[in-house]
Amino acid sequence: MNAITPTHFLILSFLLVGIGLMGLLVRRNLLYTLMSLEIMLNGINVALLAFSRVGNSLDGGILVFFIMTVAASEVAVGLALLVALYKGRKSVMSDDACLLRN
Amino acid sequence: MIEITLGILFLPLLSAAIILLFLRDKADLAAKVSVGAAGGVLLASLWLIFAGHEESFTWNTRWFSLGGWELRFGFLIDGPARLLLFIVSFVGFLIHVFSLGYMADDSARPRYFGGLSIFMFSMLGITLADNLIMIFVFWELVGFSSYLLIAHYFETEEASQASRKAFIVNRVGDFGFLIGIVLTYWNFGTVNLNELADLADFSPDLASTVLCLALACGFVGKSAQFPLHVWLPDAMAGPTPVSALIHAATMVAAGIYLLVRIDFLFTEQALAAIALLGAAMGLYAGFCALVQRDVKKILAYSTLSQLGYMAAAFGLGAPGLALFHLTTHAFFKALMFLGSGSVIHACHHEQDVFNYGGLRKRMPVTAYTFLVGVLAISGINFTSGYFSKDAILLWAYNFNPPVFLLLYSGAILTSLYMFRLYFLTFEGEPRSRQASEARENSSFMTFPLVVLGILSLFGGYHSFFPERLASCLSPDLISASVLPHHLWMIVLGTSAWVVGLSLARMLYGQSSPKDSLELRFPGFFEICRTKLFFDEIYEFYVKRIQDPLARFLEVMELLFISGLMVRGSAGLAALVSMLFKTLYLGKIHLYALWFVLGALGFLAYAAGMFGR
Amino acid sequence: MMSFDTFLLLGAIVTPFFGWILFLCGFPRDDRKIKFVGYLIFGFPCLAAFLLFLRFDLLQEGYCFEVLYDRMGLQKLGITFHLGLNGISSPLFAMAGLIGFCAGITAIHSNPERLRLYLSMLSLMLAGLMGLFASVDLFFYYLFHEFALIPTFLMIGIWGGRNRSGIALELTIYLTLGALVSLGGLIALNVFLDAPKFDFPSLSEAIGQTPLNGSAAWKIFGLLMFGFGILVALFPFHTWAARGYDAAPAPVSMLHAGVLKKFGLYGLVQIAVPLLPEAAVHWSPWLMWLALGNVLFVGMVAVAQTNFKSMISYGSIMHMGYCFLGIGACSALGAASAVMLMCAHGLSVALMFLLAEFVYRRTDTLEMNEIGGLGGKSPLLACFCIAAVLATIGLPGFGNFWGEFGIFLSLGEQIEHRFFLGLSALGIVLSAIFGLRAVSRLFFGSPSESLRKREKKCPVYDLKGKELFPAALILGSLILIGICPSLVSDRIDRAVSDRYSSNSPSGSTSKPSCCPSDGDSDR
Repeated sequence: MNAITPTHFLILSFLLVGIGLMGLLVRRNLLYTLMSLEIMLNGINVALLAFSRVGNSLDGGILVFFIMTVAASEVAVGLALLVALYKGRKSVMSDDACLLRN
Repeated sequence: MIEITLGILFLPLLSAAIILLFLRDKADLAAKVSVGAAGGVLLASLWLIFAGHEESFTWNTRWFSLGGWELRFGFLIDGPARLLLFIVSFVGFLIHVFSLGYMADDSARPRYFGGLSIFMFSMLGITLADNLIMIFVFWELVGFSSYLLIAHYFETEEASQASRKAFIVNRVGDFGFLIGIVLTYWNFGTVNLNELADLADFSPDLASTVLCLALACGFVGKSAQFPLHVWLPDAMAGPTPVSALIHAATMVAAGIYLLVRIDFLFTEQALAAIALLGAAMGLYAGFCALVQRDVKKILAYSTLSQLGYMAAAFGLGAPGLALFHLTTHAFFKALMFLGSGSVIHACHHEQDVFNYGGLRKRMPVTAYTFLVGVLAISGINFTSGYFSKDAILLWAYNFNPPVFLLLYSGAILTSLYMFRLYFLTFEGEPRSRQASEARENSSFMTFPLVVLGILSLFGGYHSFFPERLASCLSPDLISASVLPHHLWMIVLGTSAWVVGLSLARMLYGQSSPKDSLELRFPGFFEICRTKLFFDEIYEFYVKRIQDPLARFLEVMELLFISGLMVRGSAGLAALVSMLFKTLYLGKIHLYALWFVLGALGFLAYAAGMFGR
Repeated sequence: MMSFDTFLLLGAIVTPFFGWILFLCGFPRDDRKIKFVGYLIFGFPCLAAFLLFLRFDLLQEGYCFEVLYDRMGLQKLGITFHLGLNGISSPLFAMAGLIGFCAGITAIHSNPERLRLYLSMLSLMLAGLMGLFASVDLFFYYLFHEFALIPTFLMIGIWGGRNRSGIALELTIYLTLGALVSLGGLIALNVFLDAPKFDFPSLSEAIGQTPLNGSAAWKIFGLLMFGFGILVALFPFHTWAARGYDAAPAPVSMLHAGVLKKFGLYGLVQIAVPLLPEAAVHWSPWLMWLALGNVLFVGMVAVAQTNFKSMISYGSIMHMGYCFLGIGACSALGAASAVMLMCAHGLSVALMFLLAEFVYRRTDTLEMNEIGGLGGKSPLLACFCIAAVLATIGLPGFGNFWGEFGIFLSLGEQIEHRFFLGLSALGIVLSAIFGLRAVSRLFFGSPSESLRKREKKCPVYDLKGKELFPAALILGSLILIGICPSLVSDRIDRAVSDRYSSNSPSGSTSKPSCCPSDGDSDR
């Protein structure tokens, strides 16, 4: 009864992705946007690990490593872009990065 | 034989090519080359006519073939071809010689003589060709050379307009001719004249009235018959020898020659239509000629009227008489045109007959030879025109009285306007400085006049014609000679010119700077002056219908094709793009929102929430 | 070891490609050398094409001078590098070489800005054109067409006249659309037939073994007809041509109107109609009506033009209508005459654009109302111009006449086509009207006010050697074709009889010939 079933992990994963998504949609600060992305990715990681455990295969675990690597590089590139943007525009708000419009 | 024929055809082309390529700045040499070529053609033609085969002779070779259609290049030298060959080479040579004098101080002589040579080439081509397509080729080429020569004085607006008009009006005729040729090809399976004759003989129902009328369109255009006659008077803007050669003696007569060559195709109805058309032209042109002031225009309208006689003769089933009149007309009309050229040259390009007068004393050779021409065309007994014209009148009298009436009234008019021209030009007192200072021209110009004068006087005695020239004339002439009412016709014919002459004497006998016909019968004069509004109608068509239609279609194109179709589709694309552009506000959160909604939509679809 | 013919054929295509790269890389450096190299690069294809034209073997079946490389990695898709000339392409190939040379000379001496770039674009265009007519494989046939098309856009966009960028855009969209539609047709042909190779002989063999069903053939022919039609300015899709030629620099107009536009007609004559004869008969009324639009509607619009170059453009579109009519007749005679007219029209329209350029150099305008009396100032130019106009309006003695006449003849064959014969023959009057009007406005009459003013600044001179040479070259070949049509027609005849003999729709109509015995059977 008190055992932690995969459902609990999936609920956790859903919550994490939901929080990340809401953050992505609501926050204007690009720093928060990046963090939201991270939360979403980690939410997915949780789900992957849970399935990996249930299915008794290592595939999910391996994929998690890939995702973590990609997430790390993504953050690195994203932050670099952010810094560049800040240098140019003195702001990290997403609404200010609208050069392509018009 | 073949070599000689080929030589006759290509010698003028060679001369034109040499002049065009090498002699553009050597006027004297160019003139000599061209006249030399014309002389060569004359000699070779005489040889071909009198020393060549006695029977009709034909030869052809493959020119090229295209998709199952083979065009052959060949000659058919029979009676009519010999006759026309003689006329073209003989009159052509004389006019070349005349041009030496007439064009002596023109700066563009190479162009002129080159044009004459091209004309000789194309005209000889029509004469010798043995199939309709070849005739059509040369038909277009004479039109081109006529265009070129009318535009000789291209700096003047008049020549520029006239040359264009001549070409385009001829093209209208050629349009019908072309369709006629195509129909002939598919109906008969050949365009060779000999084979056509055999086939038409064998199964007469292959030819239809539509087909021959389409072919006759070519004649209507080239011979300037109703309703395409408007180009010929305007074509007088060209140099006078050109008018004599092309627009009187040879090219315009080519229409009649074409009809004679394909006469076996013609149905009764088509013949009747041509007869009526020709007779009406004979009368109509006479009225027009009566009121002209320009000497060349008088002659041009008289040419139209005489061509009408030939067409009438053909339409009444006497092609031999048409050819006979063509021959005598070539002599006397060329003579009169050259005579008028001589006058114009002497009077420094003054062309108004009311500014002449008394030239007989100053230019006796021109005056007397011109008088011979006037006598011949009026049909004074025992001149050449008397024989040919009265034969046509007699034929018409016996076979088609309405046509006879038209032609007979035309005959009276002919002598009236011709004597009017003669009296105004050569009798009385000079009415302008140019006329009082005129002098007889050089022998280059008088020699052709004398030769043509002799022929105009005696050219009607067809029984003295060499057999080889007269062979195509004699059947019809013999049947004409046994027709009834012969004596009555002589009386009628004589009275026609007597009436014309006395009217002219009465009206124009005294030298007066005003037209006494205009003074006495102003209403009649004005009606004739309108020429039944043909020029106005065509002008109206071009200015009020054709050009506005062209502009209207241009606007339609701009509006519907460029505008509605092209711009419209571009506009549609722009509209759709505007619609979708509203989704792109440049806010990254909005894009994320679209993304999420899209993803949810996919999920919902995958979960089967949209049915299925 | 490469044979001499192969060397010539490949050389004619490779030389201009080489020229493209050379000029693009910025060689040669100084102007004198550019001219010299330009002459070499534009001259060699012309010479090679001329030699190949002479060396063409009339007796050989199929293609002459075949070159085949089938190991280039695309053979699995059925695509091989297969070159060769047959009777239809040989005259067009020679014409492309000749016009390319003349356009090249004009370009070299017209002193444009950025001469090297200009010449590089032009030589790419020429390479595409030479390759197009030499390709047997349909993939390369299409590819070479694109090679020729792209520089057209760029050149109009960079060196064009008034409103050039808009026109270049319109041209681009229109022509890519046409090319796309026809590409769809070609691919569909390949897919439906499932031929081992993507060239005409294999397709023809495949269709012989497994005939297409009616509706597929019908749809494919429709795609090809409209796709190619757009590329040739078929009636409602013609506005790009008039505006494009108007704005394009003279060498581009010459090459595009003279040669590139024949791509579509060539595709119809060489591929579409022979492969899908029943579908062609089915579509032929459509084609005829639209072609009639070309002849009459566009002809009337040409009458309304006041600008010399626009008039030439509309005139050339109008004459394309005749080619379509010949193709629409679906007979050997119609197709052969259409090819004949394509050759002659290419030459004559190139000559017209060339002369329009010369007129412009003397008057600084092409508005016909502002010019006048030019004939007295430069008689030779007037002479050439009159000859060119008369050639385009189909005077005998020039090649155009035989093409037009053959087309009219082919229209008379079937009763249902005679209606089109009657109406389209009106075009000979229309073209005379606008052609001669232009001649008399430009050259006849007395010099206009503006011409006199212009002459005070710098004298109007007659044609000189550099201008005379290309004009005389083109005019000479036009007259040669006019006098000796068998030079071209024998070649066309052989290819057309291969392609159209078995599938002539008019099996019931007896074929006339010149012998009376055949004529007897008509009765």
